Amino acid sequence: MATPKLSIEDKIFKNLDGSDDWSIKGYQKRGGYDGLKKLLTTNPDVHIAQLKESALRGRGGAGFPTGLKWSFMPKPDGKKPNYLVCNADEGEPGTCKDRDILRYDPHTLVEGMIVGCHCLGAETGYIYVRGEYYDESSRLSQAIDEAYEAGLLGKNILGTGVNVDIHLHLGAGAYICGEETALLESLEGKKGQPRVKPPFPAGFGLYGCPTTINNVETIAQVPPILKKGNDWWCQFGRENNHGTKIFSVSGAVNLPGNFEAPMSITLKELINDYAGGVIGGWENLQAIIPGGSSTPMLSAEDCETAIMDFDGLREFGTGLGTAAVIVMNKDTDLLRVMTRISAFYKHESCGQCTPCREGVGWVFRLMERLSRGEGTLEELDQLYDVTKKIEGKTICAFADGAMWPVQGTLKHFRHLFEEKIKENMKKSA
Amino acid sequence: MSEIKTITLTIDGQQTTVPAGSSIMDAAKSLDIEIPHFCFHKRLSVAGNCRMCLVQVEGGPPKPTASCCFPAGDGMVVHTQSDMVKDARKGVMEFLLINHPLDCPICDQAGECDLQDISVSYGSDQSHFAEQKRAVEDKDIGPKIKTVMTRCIHCTRCIRFATEVAGVEEMGATFRGENMSVGTYVESALQSELAGNMIDLCPVGALTSKPYAFTGRNWELIKTPSVDIMDAVGSNIEVHSRAGKVMRIIPRENDEVNEEWISDTARFSYDGLYENRITSPLLKNKGKFRAIGWKKAVETLLPKLDNKKTIAGLVGDLHAVEDLFAFNAFMKTTLGSDHVDARMNGFALDGSYRPSYLFNTTIEGVDSADAVVIIGSNPRLEAPIINARIRKNVVNRQMPVYMVGAEVDLTYKYKHLGDKPENIAELYDGKSAISKELAKFEKPLIILGADTLGRSDGLGIYKEAEKLADKIGALSSNWTGLNVLHNKASAVAALDLGVYPEDKGMDLGKTLKALEKGTVDTLILYGDSTHVDAEKLKGAKFTVYIGSHRDAYAEVADLVLPVTPYTEKDAWWVNTEGRLQEAKASVAPLMNAKEDWKVFRHLSGELGKPLPFNSLEELRAHVLKKCPNYKYNNCIAPAEKWVSIAGADKLLKKSFVETVTNFYKSNEILKASKVMTECAESSLNKNKAMRKAG
Ligand SMILES: Cc1cc2nc3c(=O)[nH]c(=O)nc-3n(C[C@H](O)[C@H](O)[C@H](O)COP(=O)(O)O)c2cc1C
Ligand code: SF4
Ligand code: SF4
Ligand code: FES
Repeated sequence: MATPKLSIEDKIFKNLDGSDDWSIKGYQKRGGYDGLKKLLTTNPDVHIAQLKESALRGRGGAGFPTGLKWSFMPKPDGKKPNYLVCNADEGEPGTCKDRDILRYDPHTLVEGMIVGCHCLGAETGYIYVRGEYYDESSRLSQAIDEAYEAGLLGKNILGTGVNVDIHLHLGAGAYICGEETALLESLEGKKGQPRVKPPFPAGFGLYGCPTTINNVETIAQVPPILKKGNDWWCQFGRENNHGTKIFSVSGAVNLPGNFEAPMSITLKELINDYAGGVIGGWENLQAIIPGGSSTPMLSAEDCETAIMDFDGLREFGTGLGTAAVIVMNKDTDLLRVMTRISAFYKHESCGQCTPCREGVGWVFRLMERLSRGEGTLEELDQLYDVTKKIEGKTICAFADGAMWPVQGTLKHFRHLFEEKIKENMKKSA
Repeated sequence: MSEIKTITLTIDGQQTTVPAGSSIMDAAKSLDIEIPHFCFHKRLSVAGNCRMCLVQVEGGPPKPTASCCFPAGDGMVVHTQSDMVKDARKGVMEFLLINHPLDCPICDQAGECDLQDISVSYGSDQSHFAEQKRAVEDKDIGPKIKTVMTRCIHCTRCIRFATEVAGVEEMGATFRGENMSVGTYVESALQSELAGNMIDLCPVGALTSKPYAFTGRNWELIKTPSVDIMDAVGSNIEVHSRAGKVMRIIPRENDEVNEEWISDTARFSYDGLYENRITSPLLKNKGKFRAIGWKKAVETLLPKLDNKKTIAGLVGDLHAVEDLFAFNAFMKTTLGSDHVDARMNGFALDGSYRPSYLFNTTIEGVDSADAVVIIGSNPRLEAPIINARIRKNVVNRQMPVYMVGAEVDLTYKYKHLGDKPENIAELYDGKSAISKELAKFEKPLIILGADTLGRSDGLGIYKEAEKLADKIGALSSNWTGLNVLHNKASAVAALDLGVYPEDKGMDLGKTLKALEKGTVDTLILYGDSTHVDAEKLKGAKFTVYIGSHRDAYAEVADLVLPVTPYTEKDAWWVNTEGRLQEAKASVAPLMNAKEDWKVFRHLSGELGKPLPFNSLEELRAHVLKKCPNYKYNNCIAPAEKWVSIAGADKLLKKSFVETVTNFYKSNEILKASKVMTECAESSLNKNKAMRKAG
């Protein structure tokens, strides 16, 4: 039973492919900003209740229920402002969905920020854009200006009494600044390092004020959900995993790209019906990383049945993450890919926690050596041990995300290491 | 006020109840359960980065929790000895050691290194690491601290100390991940009077004392409790000596005084105890000093002390209680001369009413003040420890600070309200916005610089400050908010003991005039002072200098007698709060130097009018009779009822100026210290460089 493709009406990001006009005119032609006034005159509590029911889960990687997160925000007490911060740092390897939102459909985010600020009692929103997205941030900046001109930002929006200002901030190229509390530090002008939690941002966030941080896609999806209702939203996907989702498919497929599709689509459908199939055919598939580089890979066998949602992938010991699907066919040197990913994490650790600072580089060096077959079989166990000594011992989830792919490689492809090691031993013998 | 809620939890099977907001580590401490840690320090913010303090919390996610930063919860069940915890600790230890050089044999921290200690208890006996170790370049951060950055475990204690306590944002981490490196961002000397504390805070040998480098092993040192005398704070210190020589000085903890910090002058000046010392009596002959024996020296001196002569005594900055008492008694009863003064800064008040010259609020009282008004003082240089305490309150609870005086960098923000005595009146006139603002506080704390009260209009300034204190409610039944901040170790004791003319004698000013006129027969200079230029002390027919260091005052003398600095005697010291503290002799008097009071006792006997004490105990009994408050050893005497000092004075139109202009050279020990010379130069150079850089 194939999952039907989304009609253009049901798509949230109608211009994700960039074929239409990105500007406010184009967006409004596609129905954007319709009904905004009604959303801004409705009590935020009503919106948050609806979001809770919609089962919208964060698109930034962790999949935390958005309605629940928003309900943690205190009502503004007049002393400290509330803030909404949009995480557009998009650094997870394989992920490039936010980029297309920013450059092809930026008003979806601007409208989301307006509605989000209203829901959270915030009058100021920040958008933290990945440093490398310079062109995209310029596009977004133009969109923000357009919204101000149209009276959709600033004081007393559409006469509703709602005030929202948006500030855009360009990062400086550190992956760790995508972690929400490191992002706040960076936004405050400090070294981008995750904070210890608790306290959580909803209590003590940006400049010590109540703050909610959400991914670009999450924020952009809020207005359509609130406008069209939960019946519409919940027809897509399974319980607790509803809605539509952008999948970034890359690697050994014939048509890589960003695709908005219903949640809970099967991985096989996604590869075959959207991304043009595996290069060399499905039989040529070696493994797939389903949710960005931090999620453990699926073996080709797992790929036969995997369902692309938060709960479906958990069954396979991995996760939906950012839904960045990285396909490796049999022509790919899998160990080299995974070593390269380890190198990325070594380079991106912020360095404050001992296990991550000292361990991630160690793991990379072991990967580098063992993937060339230089080492012993015992060292493969040791590699696994080291990943276990790091996992779960650190301030932020970076270190876990750095270890899982290594563990996934050892789980499914230990034999590749062993072959190399044995080959090497034979050579030197 | 809402009542303090408590939390009850179970740790390793034992129940404990702690205040809400406590961390799991705090709760464990209440049960005497030790949790190993590196980055946590009770006087710094929580960083949670070393991950050594991981514990297991039942019911939580299946991973360990950092106990230093995770709040204790009601009904929580915690394990600190489970397999999960042991494995976690072993893992963290292993990670800390893989890139550590393990060069303990050539590391000064060895023997007092947290990494050594904790790895013995919680580490593994072997490493699995087969890769290359990381090497990190050392950094030159000035004459105080030696860095071996390969040993750094990145706990950020030093960074947090510099930013949070010292208030100089000069330490930080650059680069990420395994390349993260700790140091001053630009390689330059750290500009802080408290930098040395980072040595104590650094859990490993990354930051060690530069002057102490390779001079001793901590297990060979004899440790003696003592009191610092480089300012009038009375910081508690431990003097470490080996073979009769002071090898280093570190702080002792005292929450009421110095918490656990000391100034860099206290820590690094001990080489000055062995430079420029007077090691035997000296007699001047044709402008040149020649060493002589004590017997000859006393024979030379006695005829000059004939009580028909005009004999004046001036008393320097660094004397202990007993020595001051003995000298005062020697002058007044043995020699019958009332021409004695220890107020070398010209301090306007005498010792008749103690609260008029004390830091009444106490140093700890800064923590409960709700505003600070500084008048004519630079606490950063006159009492760095008190300044750090003020800063702590500015940072933690936004305590406002106001200043009338020279506009200096105090490491925190303050409102500058002018720099002349006349500006004080604006603070209490009841009309100005600022006087209304000040009147709102419940516990305002006023700090008056002692040297400012040494101006010729000192009494007038004091009276102004008193009016201010009265008008803004700094003198209520439960709050005495008017304080004098002294910067010389002997200042308060000298006032307590009456080391100034008590009858019709000449005070400092009159003595200087008499010297100019040539009417002084014998001048006794007991110790050095930075307040009066040696040039002004010429002019007596005979001058004897009694002191430890051969400084400018010694040079104007005809005869020099060597006595002891603070490390060479058991002695009492009284700080700016009026707190009496006892120091023990760490080492014996150097060569032919003698304990000060013994010299005066001996001379008094030779003159046939022996002072009535033959031992330190007997001497102390006399001191206590003169100053009964000294029975409050180590603590503060009960507050007295506030009495206004009589008198008036015209205020001058002269600005308040900084009186401690060369922090690293502000007494004879500091002047003798080569390390302090380097510090003075590096801070000068840095200031110049900064000015150039604009
Ligand atoms: C190392 C690390 C990097 C992250 N990078 C991003 C990122 O680039 N973009 C993002 O939206 N979330 C990122 N996250 C997740 C955020 O911390 C946070 O969970 C998310 O922004 C919340 O938004 P959501 O609830 O809408 O998903 C990252 C998390 C970690 C641990
Ligand atoms: S886990 Fe790594 S990235 Fe995260 S805070 Fe610790 S050192 Fe930084
Ligand atoms: S130098 Fe010492 S105190 Fe500073 S971060 Fe390194 S180990 Fe910690
Ligand atoms: S002591 Fe808790 S993490 Fe360092």
